[in-house]
Amino acid sequence: MTSPDLTTLSPQKPSLYRLAADGHTLDFLFAQCPGCKGLTFPANAPGCMHCGQALEHAERIARPGGGTLLEYVTLHAALVPGMTAPRIAGDIRIADKVVEEGVIGVTDEAQLAQGMQLRAVAVPLASGEHYGCQFVPVQEARP
Amino acid sequence: MSATPASNWVDGNGGVFVAGIGLHPYQFPSETPYTVLGLTAVRAALADAGLAWPQVQSAYVGTTSIGMAAGRVMFQHLGSTGLAVTQVENASASGSFAFRQACMEIALGISDVVLAMGVDKHGDGRRAANKDGLERLSDTATIPAVKFAMMARRYLRERGSGMEAMAEVAVKNHGNAALNPFAQFRKPRTLEQVLASPKVVGDLTVQQCCPRGEGAAAVLLVSGHALRRLGLEPRRCVRVRASSANSERNDQNDGEGAVELVRASAQAALAQAGIAATDLDLLELHDAFSVEELLYSEAVGVCAPGEGAASLQRGDSRIGGRCAINASGGLIGMGHPLGPTGIGQIAEITRQLRGEATGRQHPNARWGMAHMIGLGSVAIAHVLSAGQP
Repeated sequence: MTSPDLTTLSPQKPSLYRLAADGHTLDFLFAQCPGCKGLTFPANAPGCMHCGQALEHAERIARPGGGTLLEYVTLHAALVPGMTAPRIAGDIRIADKVVEEGVIGVTDEAQLAQGMQLRAVAVPLASGEHYGCQFVPVQEARP
Repeated sequence: MSATPASNWVDGNGGVFVAGIGLHPYQFPSETPYTVLGLTAVRAALADAGLAWPQVQSAYVGTTSIGMAAGRVMFQHLGSTGLAVTQVENASASGSFAFRQACMEIALGISDVVLAMGVDKHGDGRRAANKDGLERLSDTATIPAVKFAMMARRYLRERGSGMEAMAEVAVKNHGNAALNPFAQFRKPRTLEQVLASPKVVGDLTVQQCCPRGEGAAAVLLVSGHALRRLGLEPRRCVRVRASSANSERNDQNDGEGAVELVRASAQAALAQAGIAATDLDLLELHDAFSVEELLYSEAVGVCAPGEGAASLQRGDSRIGGRCAINASGGLIGMGHPLGPTGIGQIAEITRQLRGEATGRQHPNARWGMAHMIGLGSVAIAHVLSAGQP
């Protein structure tokens, strides 16, 4: 079975990411604070997450999505409506002083290790119209 | 024990005292109207204090899920006396903040007799974090259980402990709850039962997580001047020695934010009271998930850093140990109906300091701390002491 052409789909969360040039991985969208120069995520946050300055006129910056895996756990039960379980969630440092929880696209914690580098990849969703975001080990982030 | 600070705002108006306590048992969601829950607790508190409703000058109601204007709808059935009524919401810490507001009103001399209560029905859990207009990479990013499961992994790894160390918290607290007639759970659990209960997230099993529920708790506070004027029994009036509140600082230190939040609020309260953490005989804290008791016992300072699990194993935190933690059963065992929880902590500490905790009395209890956290995150700590006013 061939992989769907992700370029024909829309991002599920357009304020957070977009398809990278390779058509498979994701770029994350940040705002760079005009005051402290730190990156804030998501880019449409009303204030810098580091110094609190308003970000209405902040430069929007796209960077390859991914980062360092800090911690991870398996969600054994569906904790929110529509969630399939089991699923692995992880805290990932996606930029300097920016840690976000993300969905890990592996089925077994044994495939993960603290400190490993992850890449954000586009995952086609059941709607057939959108792609979502999952994090996978860097070596697996190839179409 | 360090010297009492020269000036402590909570000593104003002759001091702030808990004169009466009352609860409706915490229970699983039911058809019981919140008014019945709440009035049961308030009437019990009035009877316990030997006070009448018309003597209450102001009321603070902590609640998260009932809706607007819960107080007057309930209090009209006690009598429309014209008292001031204020509703307080701060997630899990709603009742605690209602208590703090009541303390301030008395210490400032605005009122001499104030009700602080919490009442809640199980709601839909709506939270502001899901209405901020910002998307998130994970749909569980605002779910506390996931955050604490990750903290548990880190805690156990750094201390070289197995998941049993965390599960023992639930064993202790279910055991304490079994002795508490107001607790939602009334059966002791073995370690095997706790570990065998369904997994929720990470190493947290169902019996290591607080339940959904409803209930009510109420305390009546009086000023030191009113205590004497009204002829209340001094030995049954427990004094409030400190009230401290804060919120989380920017947490980019890989999960240390919640622990630092607890540490800061607890240390501030201890300093205000003029005591050290090791002077505490009782500690009621936010154990919505078992690992929290280990983390916060270290953060408050009732055990050495890194010693939370070891301290539990030694029996230090059991009733009869060095400092009884969650003698009520905590959130895991007694329950966590949200609005009432912080007030229930105050009621438990009051009962213990009076020597009236039949069947679960911690001996020689003189100092207690009630510590709560809430979504946001916010934290609040109160220190109470026994003895003559």
